[in-house]
Amino acid sequence: MFLNYIKIAFRTLLKNKGYSFLNIFGLAIGITCASLIFLWVEDELSFNKNFDKQDQVYYVPTNQNYEGEWRTFYSTPGPLAQDMLNDIPGIVKATRSSLEERLFVVGDNSITRSGRYADADFLEIFSLKFVEGNREDAFVNPEAIVLTQETAEQLFGKDEKALGKVVRVSNKDNYLVTGVIENLPNNVSFPFNWVAPFERYRDGAEWMTEYGSNFSDTFVELAPEANFETVDTQVRALIGTKEENTDDYAFLHTIKDWHLRSKFEGGEIVGGRITYVRLFTIIAFVILLIACINFMNLSTARSEKRANEVGVRKAMGSGRGRLITQFISEALILSIIATVFSVVMLAILLPQFNLIIDKNLTLGLANPMHILSLITVAIVCGLLAGLYPAFYLSSFKPVEVLKGLKVTEGSATLIRKGLVVGQFTISIVFIIVTILVYQQIQFAKNRDLGYNKDQLLSMRIDLDFIPKFNVVQQELIRTGSVDNATLCNSSLLSGGNNGSGFSWKGGTDTEDVLISFRNVTQSFFDTTGMEIIEGRGFSETVEADSTSVLISESLAKMMGNESPIGNIISRGDDVLEVVGVVKDYVYGDMFDASDPVLFMHFPSYTRYMFIKTKAGVPINEALSDIEAVMKTHNPAFPFEYSFIDEAFNEKFKNEQLVGELSQIFAILAILISCLGLFGLAAYTAQQRRKEIGVRKVLGASVSGIVKLLSQDFLKLVLISIVLAIPIAWYFMQDWLQDYAYRIEINWWVFIIAGVVAILIAMVTVSFQAIKAAIANPADSLKTE
Amino acid sequence: MIQITDLEKFYKTEEVQTIALNKLSFNVKEGEFVAIMGPSGCGKSTLLNILGLLDDPDGGSFMFNGTEVAGYNERKRSELRKHNIGFVFQSFNLIDELTVFENVELPLIYTGVKPVERKKQVEAVLEKMQIMHRRNHFPQQLSGGQQQRVAVARAVVNNPKLILADEPTGNLDSTNGNEVMDLLIDLNEAGTTIIMVTHSEHDAKYSHRIIRMLDGQKVTENILA
Repeated sequence: MFLNYIKIAFRTLLKNKGYSFLNIFGLAIGITCASLIFLWVEDELSFNKNFDKQDQVYYVPTNQNYEGEWRTFYSTPGPLAQDMLNDIPGIVKATRSSLEERLFVVGDNSITRSGRYADADFLEIFSLKFVEGNREDAFVNPEAIVLTQETAEQLFGKDEKALGKVVRVSNKDNYLVTGVIENLPNNVSFPFNWVAPFERYRDGAEWMTEYGSNFSDTFVELAPEANFETVDTQVRALIGTKEENTDDYAFLHTIKDWHLRSKFEGGEIVGGRITYVRLFTIIAFVILLIACINFMNLSTARSEKRANEVGVRKAMGSGRGRLITQFISEALILSIIATVFSVVMLAILLPQFNLIIDKNLTLGLANPMHILSLITVAIVCGLLAGLYPAFYLSSFKPVEVLKGLKVTEGSATLIRKGLVVGQFTISIVFIIVTILVYQQIQFAKNRDLGYNKDQLLSMRIDLDFIPKFNVVQQELIRTGSVDNATLCNSSLLSGGNNGSGFSWKGGTDTEDVLISFRNVTQSFFDTTGMEIIEGRGFSETVEADSTSVLISESLAKMMGNESPIGNIISRGDDVLEVVGVVKDYVYGDMFDASDPVLFMHFPSYTRYMFIKTKAGVPINEALSDIEAVMKTHNPAFPFEYSFIDEAFNEKFKNEQLVGELSQIFAILAILISCLGLFGLAAYTAQQRRKEIGVRKVLGASVSGIVKLLSQDFLKLVLISIVLAIPIAWYFMQDWLQDYAYRIEINWWVFIIAGVVAILIAMVTVSFQAIKAAIANPADSLKTE
Repeated sequence: MIQITDLEKFYKTEEVQTIALNKLSFNVKEGEFVAIMGPSGCGKSTLLNILGLLDDPDGGSFMFNGTEVAGYNERKRSELRKHNIGFVFQSFNLIDELTVFENVELPLIYTGVKPVERKKQVEAVLEKMQIMHRRNHFPQQLSGGQQQRVAVARAVVNNPKLILADEPTGNLDSTNGNEVMDLLIDLNEAGTTIIMVTHSEHDAKYSHRIIRMLDGQKVTENILA
């Protein structure tokens, strides 16, 4: 019996090639699109899963209160890890950790790699797997370093053992390789290439051993039997018992949430990437649904063709159940074929998709879960798409269909129209979302940043480089390729160091204000293009301005209406005089207002050099000039740099991803919907052949017929627009709430989306309508 | 074999009720060949649909082999139909996607006959209908006469007790029409009861008895020699 179904299914498929193509292609696009999303979701959900102790490992962020608002930071006081271990019985391991970038040199081989300074427990907490050396002895030697396999191979060669060898770090210290660990997979939220004992991180300054200065990450491992609530309560109370006059507190953040739920507001987790994971999962199902709707629509629209067969089969003794099974089997076969096609499409499209989402996803057909998922998708689609047509088609009465009576389609027509409206509503929502996301990104990208990011290079520097800076700066300018150069303690786009406890004349409750500070050289404002709107910049010599500061506009506003020039800002023993005001600039979150900034003329603790290249000089030329200067004065360090404008674009990665994906989904949703509409228009035209013939005989024009056939579909698209606008408005209003600096939703966006949808739908329908309208009426009337 | 008494059937639209069968009564004995005639709209096809258990009467009694079947539900009707009744339609009603062999095989599939047995029975009936050489062709590849032969083959493959033929020669030329009528005569002589709706006086003469209808009622009944 089943063979009979398969036979019929294939013959129907081959006999109606156009219809089969529309169905299979539409469904295949839907399955491909959904599969791409599912692969992405799978990757997102897999983050940090490779670490063994999923139920025991926690990050320890701190919540700090500034101006009545709780803000969450990953940096914690130095002694916190050890105190947690000592005072809280449920915690069995704890480590400080700080992410750093270092230059490694072995012979002629030099590379810069990021890694972590941490305590020995770090190796245990993350169950790092040693391929050379072992976990227990790795940090016994204070000069130890543990490398990943990849880093070890890059330094010592593929076939050489790294264990016991020495590597020179930052051109001044020697580290002894005491272990090589397996490479970390890509799906780790805090990748590192090496781990070295925390003691070597800094010089062991006093502030690192006291509460009050937050600078390192803290990770802990709970005992397997420990109760999370109990331990968390103890963790939350700890800082209060160690530090006076603070309401800062630490808390536990499980490893399971690091990747997907790490957005904090008011000191609480409010989401993170999980929002996008959920959103795209819903989108995957919606796209599949649109594709299945095509199948339903085309199947029921073709019902007249199948009606006779239903009648004959029923007259021959087939029950309704058998017919339902037959039609569902056909849908399943079609959906299986579509799934096979989609695997081919996936193989072709995955590399492109990887570029867009910046991942390295693989099809993984050897993975039984992937095969199972594809089978499930095929079955679910087959059932979803086939169920309604199966029940509908099998309900025909043989008496009616065998006599060639027209199938009365009342409810089916209504449902079909409803489904078309559903498809187009979704498509229009996607169009609106695409436009608004694009607008929001452009809005933030085009906002006045307060500096000029173009032709600006950023380079990490070592402390040893700082004394050479003035000479390097002059030589760079002399090349003719460089306008200016400067030093700063943090990258231009990120948050950098900050602190509170400042006070100034005329200010009340100022201790609570979180202020970022930047150590810069005199040329900082000129190089970055930041504008000094009041007062002056720094003098040539550091000594002349050792207690002078420039402040950002927002800090000046906090200080009151009077000019802040000459006002004194103090913190502890430091007394600083304001000599200038700098226009606010955007750093950290590109969609938000940035915290106030205090600039100090203090090059000693800078870590970055920014170089502004001259306009009009080809970038390659400028780079080779800069490299030559750097090689002369900093020969041990490889010439590594980044462009600020590229780093700036990186900041929009999430939004860019949403934008590009919604664009793709919009195109696919429309394409699938149009395939369905094309099929429906074809069948409508066929069904109305006689009517068209009669109308033409009676004098109807081609344009009149085209209008007649198109207007029904136009009505459906108009209804879709009316439905889509409030849905899109609601979602986008909600999405935009996440951004302090955001666009207003304009009414014309809806108009554009509506017009686009109408145009696309009309082009799709008119092809069939024109074909029907120009047909010879004699042919259609003769057959009746 | 068939006893219908005061059989009624109405068709209702929103405003009008049309009487298709108006207290119609007659019997058909096993082995009989009955022709039903009458103008269009007299209720012939409605009657055939009820006799074929494709439709329900609205009133009266319908005894099939001594059992009242008028109130049967779809499942019971389908069960009774597939074991006892074969259909021959004016427009053949072959399934385009199935070959000759597969079309004829269909009733056997629904009655659960095993594949080996099915093959035997289908081949036997195709031989009998002299259409065996076309067994792998699709309906569109056959002439009208050949298609109707296949339809007859399909109607008889299950050895039904009753064959209902709805204008079996209506779409055929006279040569092919006569051939189909000869097939029906052969089947009848072999013991199958046949009820045939026709407009053709010529075809009706092949039967044992002609029932003429008008406005849902029996007008005359002629027994032929």
